[in-house]
Amino acid sequence: MLIYGAVTEGLAWVPGSSDFPAYAHYALALIPIVAIFFVFWAQWRFAIEIDEFLRLIQIKATLCGIACVMVIASGWGQLERLADVPTLPMFWLLPIFWTVHGLAILFISIREGLFQ
Amino acid sequence: MKNNLKALRAEQDWSQATLGDHLGVSRQTINAIEAGRYDPSLHLAFKMARLFKRTIEEFFEDED
Repeated sequence: MLIYGAVTEGLAWVPGSSDFPAYAHYALALIPIVAIFFVFWAQWRFAIEIDEFLRLIQIKATLCGIACVMVIASGWGQLERLADVPTLPMFWLLPIFWTVHGLAILFISIREGLFQ
Repeated sequence: MKNNLKALRAEQDWSQATLGDHLGVSRQTINAIEAGRYDPSLHLAFKMARLFKRTIEEFFEDED
C-alpha cells in the first residue's frame, strides 16, 4: 500500500513526466496496479491461514469496505452527472476501501469481544 | 447456540489458548464459542467431539 500511495502521488511529481512518451505513462500506471494485486493476494493468503471465526470478521470488514466504495462510487458518479460537484479521481477508492476495512475490523472485533 | 465447552475445558484444566492449540484455532475463537457469540463449523465441532470423546449433541444445545 505504501508503494501504491507513493507511486500514485509521486507520478505527478516526476520531473518531465508530462514529456514522457505515451507508452511510458502506461508503464508507470502499471506499478500501482501490480502493488494492488500483491496487497489483495496477501489479504487472500491471510484469510486462508487464519481460523474460521477470525476469517468471518475479515469477510465482514471486506463487505463493509466494498459497500462503502460502491456507495461512494455510484453516489458521487450520480452527483457528477446531476450536480456541479468536482470529479473524484478513482484512485482514491482503494485508500477509502482499506480505511473503511480497517475501521470495520476494529469495530467488529470490539463487538465480538476479541479484546476480552 | 448454548454449549458446555467451558465446563469441559475446565475438567481438563486447559486455558482457552491451550484448547485452541489442540483444535487448531485461536483463543478468540474459543472465547466466542463459549460465550455463544459464534457457532463453529461442522468440521470444528467434530474436532471438539473427538478431542473430548463426546458426541456433538453432548456439546451443543439446539435452542430451536
